[in-house]
Amino acid sequence: MNSAANRQSAFSSRRRHLLPAVLALALLFCSLAAAAAAVPTAAYAQTPTVPYDESAAQAIDRMLICPVCPAESIDQAQVPLARQMRRQVRAMLAAGAGQPEILAWFADRYGPSVLAAPPKSGRNLLAWTLPVAGVLAALLIGGLALRAMTGKNRNTAAASTAANALPPADLAPYLAVVDQILALPPGNRPDKDGSPDKDGGPGANHG
Amino acid sequence: MAELGAMALWIGLALSVYAALGSVLGQLRHAPALVESARRAVYVLTLAMLVATLCLIGSFINRDFEVAYVAAHSNLAMPDIYTWVAFYAGNEGSLLYIAFVLSAMAAVALRWAPAATRPTLPYTTASLMVIQTFFIAVMGFMANPFDQLPFVPPDGEGINPLLTHFGMFFHPPALMAGLIGISLPLSFALGALVGGQRRDEWVDAGRIWGLLVWVLLAGGLLLGSWWAYTILGWGGFWFWDPVENAAFMPWLALTAFVHSVMVQKRRGMFRMWNIVLINVAFALALYGMFMNRGGPVPSVHSFGASTLGWVFLLFLAVGIIIPFAVFFWRYGLLKSAQNLDSMLSREAAFLVNNLLLLGIAFVTLWGTVYPLFVKLGGGAEITIARPFYDQVNGPLLLALLFLMGVGPLLPWRRANLPSLRRALLLPGSAAAAVVIILLLLVTRSPFALVGFGLSALVTAGILLEWWRGMRSRHRSTGENYPLALARLLAANRPRYGGYIVHLAVVMVALGVLGGSLFEQQRDVVLSPGESYAIADYRLTYLQTTQQTFADRTEYLSHLEVYRDGELLETMQARRSFYPSFNMASTLAAIRSTPLEDFYVVPSENRPDGAVGFRILVNPLVWWMWAAGPILIAGTAVSLWPERRRERAIAAVPLTRPAAA
Repeated sequence: MNSAANRQSAFSSRRRHLLPAVLALALLFCSLAAAAAAVPTAAYAQTPTVPYDESAAQAIDRMLICPVCPAESIDQAQVPLARQMRRQVRAMLAAGAGQPEILAWFADRYGPSVLAAPPKSGRNLLAWTLPVAGVLAALLIGGLALRAMTGKNRNTAAASTAANALPPADLAPYLAVVDQILALPPGNRPDKDGSPDKDGGPGANHG
Repeated sequence: MAELGAMALWIGLALSVYAALGSVLGQLRHAPALVESARRAVYVLTLAMLVATLCLIGSFINRDFEVAYVAAHSNLAMPDIYTWVAFYAGNEGSLLYIAFVLSAMAAVALRWAPAATRPTLPYTTASLMVIQTFFIAVMGFMANPFDQLPFVPPDGEGINPLLTHFGMFFHPPALMAGLIGISLPLSFALGALVGGQRRDEWVDAGRIWGLLVWVLLAGGLLLGSWWAYTILGWGGFWFWDPVENAAFMPWLALTAFVHSVMVQKRRGMFRMWNIVLINVAFALALYGMFMNRGGPVPSVHSFGASTLGWVFLLFLAVGIIIPFAVFFWRYGLLKSAQNLDSMLSREAAFLVNNLLLLGIAFVTLWGTVYPLFVKLGGGAEITIARPFYDQVNGPLLLALLFLMGVGPLLPWRRANLPSLRRALLLPGSAAAAVVIILLLLVTRSPFALVGFGLSALVTAGILLEWWRGMRSRHRSTGENYPLALARLLAANRPRYGGYIVHLAVVMVALGVLGGSLFEQQRDVVLSPGESYAIADYRLTYLQTTQQTFADRTEYLSHLEVYRDGELLETMQARRSFYPSFNMASTLAAIRSTPLEDFYVVPSENRPDGAVGFRILVNPLVWWMWAAGPILIAGTAVSLWPERRRERAIAAVPLTRPAAA
C-alpha cells in the first residue's frame, strides 16, 4: 500500500502544478469576456442626452422585418422605409411606450409578418413549442434506445464483474505510462487485477 | 468557344449516363470490362466538364457578350479577377461549377477508393453518376450556360456589386462544393448497402469524404459570415436567413455524421444510424440547393427568380426516397457488432451529440417551413427570423458546447463515475472560476455566463489533456516539450485533430457571444470635421472623396479613430453606388483586435457632404475569423493518413500512449 500512498501524493502534487495553468486560463477567459462586456455605459452620457434607451430601440429594431426588403430586419435594411420605421420606434420609446406596445402597433399597421418572430400565444404557440417538444422527444427516445442497448448487454457474459473492475479500455496505454513514471512494476496497481496489456480486456475492440 | 463548351456538355451528359448504366449492368452481368469502362468514363467526364468550365471562363475573359450568361453577369468595366466570381454568380454557371466539382470529386474518389469498397464500387459509381446526370441534364435542357443571344450586345449587364468582394472567391465555391460533395459519402454508403456488404467497408471512405465536405461547408459558412460582416453594412455576421440555414443544416447533419462514424470505425456500432445520418445530410443538401434556386422563401442569397424550383423539388423528393428505400431494403444487414456497455461512455455521448445536432437542424428547418404551412393552411402571413432561432437554438447550441467539454473526457465503452469526476475536476473549476469572476466583475447575462463558462470548460479539458500527454512523453522519452506535443498529436490524429477543431469551435463561440451579446451600435450623421464618441473610442469624420467609374461611383469616407485622445488609425470606409443595379455596396472600415472590433460603415452619402455612419464596437469577433485556419488545420490533422503511424510507433518503442 506504500505505492498507493506514493501515487496519491504524486496526484496531488500534479494537481498543484496544474493549478496555475487553470488560473491562467480562467484569467485569460475573464479578461476576454471582461473586454467584451466592459463597454462603459457612461460613454453614452458624452453624447447629447437622449430621452430613450438606444439599446432597447435596437432590440426592437431586430424584432421587426422591413416590409419591402424581404428577410432583413429594419436594423439591417438601409432603405428609406426602414429608416423611417427606426425613427418611429425611437419616437414611441421616447413617448413612453414599451416594447410590447410598439411591436403590437407595427403588427397592426403592417400585418403580423412584420414581426421577426410570431408572438408566443394562440395558434403560433405551436411554432415555439413543437420544435422544443421534438428535441426533447428525440433525446428521450435516444435515451431509451441507449438503455435498451445496454440492457441487452447485461445478460451477456461479457459484462461480468471482472469487466467492471477493469479500467476503461482506452486508458490502459496511458495508465501504463503513468505506472512507468511512478516506477511501479507493471500490474502492481491496486485497482487493477490484470496485467497491463495494451488490450482492455474481453471484447475490447479499440484501434 | 461557346460551341465547344456546349458540345462538351452534351458529351458529358452521354458519358455520365453511360457510366451509370454501364457500371450497374457490368456488375449484374459479371462483365468486369464494362465496369472498368464505365469507371474510365467518369475520368473522361471530368475532362469534358473541365473543358466546359474553361470555355465559359474563356468566354468571360473575352467578354463574348453573345453568350447570354456572359452578358448577364459581366460587363466591360468588370476587372478580370472577378471572372472567377462571375462564372458561378448565376444559375447556369453555378450548375456547371457543381457538375465540374462533382465529376472531379467522383474521379478522385473512384481512382483512390479504399480496397474494401472495391467490390461495391460500381454501385457507388452509379449513384454518383445519377446525381451527375441530373445536373448536366438540367443545364442542357433548362439552363444552358452556353445559350447564345440572337444579337451581340455592346456591353453586358455587369456583375452583382455585392459579389465584388474577396470572400466571394471562396465562399460560394466552398459551399456549393460542400453541398454537392455530400453525394460522395452517401454514394459509398449506398454502394455498400446495395452491394450487400455486411460490415464497415464503406466507413473509411465515408469518413474521409465526410470530413472533407464538412470542412468545405464549415469554411464556406465562416467565409460567408465574414463577407456579410464586411460588406452588407449592418455589422452582423449571421442572420438565420433561409439560405444561410439551408447551408447550415446539412453541415449540422454532417457534423453528427463525422462524430458518429468514428463509433462505427472503432466499435462497429451505430451502423443504421450512420446511414440515416448521411441520408439526412444529403436530403438537407438537396433542400439547400432547392431553396437557392427558386425556393419558396425570400432570401438575400437566392439566385433570383428561377424556374428551376420544381425540378429541384422533384430531385429532392427522389433524393430522399431512394436512399431511404435502400436503407429499409437492406435493414437486416445493419446489425451492430457490439452492444453498448454503458450509458456513461463516449459512444453514448456521441449519440446525444448527434441528437442535439439533428435537433438544431430540425428547429432550423421548422422555422423555415412553418410560415409556409401557416400560409398553406390559410392563416395570416407570418415571419420566423432571428429572434426565434436565437431563443430556441441558443440553448441547444450551449448544450452542445457542454457536451463538447464532457464527451472527450469519457472513455470508450464504459466510464466510471469517480474517474469522470476526477477528469472533470480541473476543467470544471476553471469554468466555475470564469463564471464567478464574470459574475462579480462583468455581466449577469445568463447566456454570457453559461457560454463563457462552457467555453472555459472545453478549453481547459483539451489543454489539460494535451499538457498531461505532453508531460508524460517528455518524462518517459526525454523529448523536449514542443516535440513531445507534436508527437502526441501525431500519435492519434483523428482524436487530436478533433480537439484542434473543438478549440476552433470555442473560438467561434467566443466571437458569437461577444459580437451578439455585448456589441454597441450607433447610427449617426456626421458632417466633415465632426466627431462621435462611442465606448472609449472617438471617431472623427474628415471628408469624403468621390470617384466615378464606368459602372459605379465610389464614395470614400476618410476617418480617424482616437482612443484616450490618442490617434489609433486613419481608416477609409467605402460606399459605391451602381446606377445600373440601383444598388449600393459598402465596405466597412474595421480596426480589428482580439479584444474588440471598431467598425464603421457608411449608410448614406448626403449631397452636402454629411455622411450617415453606423458605428459598432464588436467585442471578440476577431476570434471567429481566426478560427477558420485552425479549423482547417485541425481537419487536416484528422485526415492525415494514419499509415505512417506504424513507423512512428516503431521509432518510439514501448512508452508511447499508443491509441486512445
